[in-house]
Amino acid sequence: MAATLEAEYVFGAEDLESGPKVVKFAVIQGHQGEGAQKHELASFEAMMLSHMDAAHNLARWLLRNEQDAQDIVQEAYLRAFKSFSGFHGSNGRAWLLTIVRNTAYTLLKKNRAADLTTTFDEEIHAGGRESVSPAAILEHAEDAELMKNAMNQLPAEFREILTLRHQEELSYQEIGEILKIPVGTVMSRLARARAKLREYLASQMSQEK
Amino acid sequence: MNCEEIKDLMDAYLDGELDPITSQKVEQHLRACPKCEQAYEVETAMAHAISQAAPYYKAPSELRERIQVSLREAIGAPISRGAAAEDPLPVRRPEAVRRSVFFDMPWNWLALAAAIAVAAIVASSFLPRLRQPGADQFLATQLIASHVRSLMADHLTDVASSDQHTVKPWLDVKLDFAAPVVDLSGDGFPLIGGRLDYLDNHSVAALVYQKRKHFINLFIWPTTSADTKEQKLVEHQGYHLVHWTDGDFTYWAVSDVNAGDLQNFKQLFEQQTARH
Repeated sequence: MAATLEAEYVFGAEDLESGPKVVKFAVIQGHQGEGAQKHELASFEAMMLSHMDAAHNLARWLLRNEQDAQDIVQEAYLRAFKSFSGFHGSNGRAWLLTIVRNTAYTLLKKNRAADLTTTFDEEIHAGGRESVSPAAILEHAEDAELMKNAMNQLPAEFREILTLRHQEELSYQEIGEILKIPVGTVMSRLARARAKLREYLASQMSQEK
Repeated sequence: MNCEEIKDLMDAYLDGELDPITSQKVEQHLRACPKCEQAYEVETAMAHAISQAAPYYKAPSELRERIQVSLREAIGAPISRGAAAEDPLPVRRPEAVRRSVFFDMPWNWLALAAAIAVAAIVASSFLPRLRQPGADQFLATQLIASHVRSLMADHLTDVASSDQHTVKPWLDVKLDFAAPVVDLSGDGFPLIGGRLDYLDNHSVAALVYQKRKHFINLFIWPTTSADTKEQKLVEHQGYHLVHWTDGDFTYWAVSDVNAGDLQNFKQLFEQQTARH
């Protein structure tokens, strides 16, 4: 771990074209030995623990299950810590959420391939569209239970993008970085996700009637 | 722009993700086209509903605990259960062990602090030349710093009041100019209070407004010859800044709300001050 710390400072120094001073400090730092790991843990925690709510929320929406969500967040934190020395960005939240998402998808692919391959049955879900007015949808959209159920019916790629935009209030750019898609795709996917959510709300409401 | 194009841009417009020119075109179309205007209202309400009604699953405290323990296991450090958790567990390790993780390395900390300090000095002497910032960029940085400081130090307001008739006299006494103060709570931007600030070598008024969970700092000072008259929308370090002037004053609004909301805020403020 000491070696990687050293490498990081050297990298930073090159970045700034700032000469040898910083490197010297890196060498002192590198030879501190056993303290370095604890030290790295302390800076990791200082930067990343505050994003645990965001991490948990994303995992919970992706997996739709509390126990799995917790396991994934724990796993993601361990992975993040292991690659922390390679993290040079300033957006810790986006970086952590990327890892949470990758970890969650690994589990989804392994255990619940069906979740990812589910294609919509447009016929079933489009049922309520014509019969329910936008005003009525909006009135019911404030209903947390209804909203939760409707969102949980969406495929994972829609659930995650709605979470990132509406709950984490991330920009298209940040969302694009997390999902590894271009900003244009963020825009169109988000539009489809919202439209689909509205349909689901409508179909739920017509079922309730 | 026709309705079909507007439909494609609607979501990005709503999210404040369009460039100012396209955004203005969409706005013009919406004003002229009732059908699209209505669709936009539904979209806005829908977006609001998702933010409000979708449950946010916070991390339970036992997960926090679990993760901190597993991180310490990963580096083979003594496990200090409850090191940073709110509720300590009944079984505690000796105090010395608990403390060791954080306090046993003054040298590391000093070395790191020194490294950061040197890096900061080096960076600050190099970056300006590399990036060639204009006066505006420098001002933008100052504005953001002031905005961030106001949120960090629990010093958001000197006078906390949603009443413009309380905030305005307070500021008038402290400053040598009478800054306009309006409450926009009817439009979703409640006034939180006012504060004195110091920017660009003069005292300025800072009005604080809220938009949902976010704060907006509006900095106001009398326009000088050095101030640009041009309207501006800048994105810098993840913050949005909107600048405008009227007959007497220069305004800079700074916030992490999206650009659309901030533009909206600016328009509302202008309308209200024009009326006064």
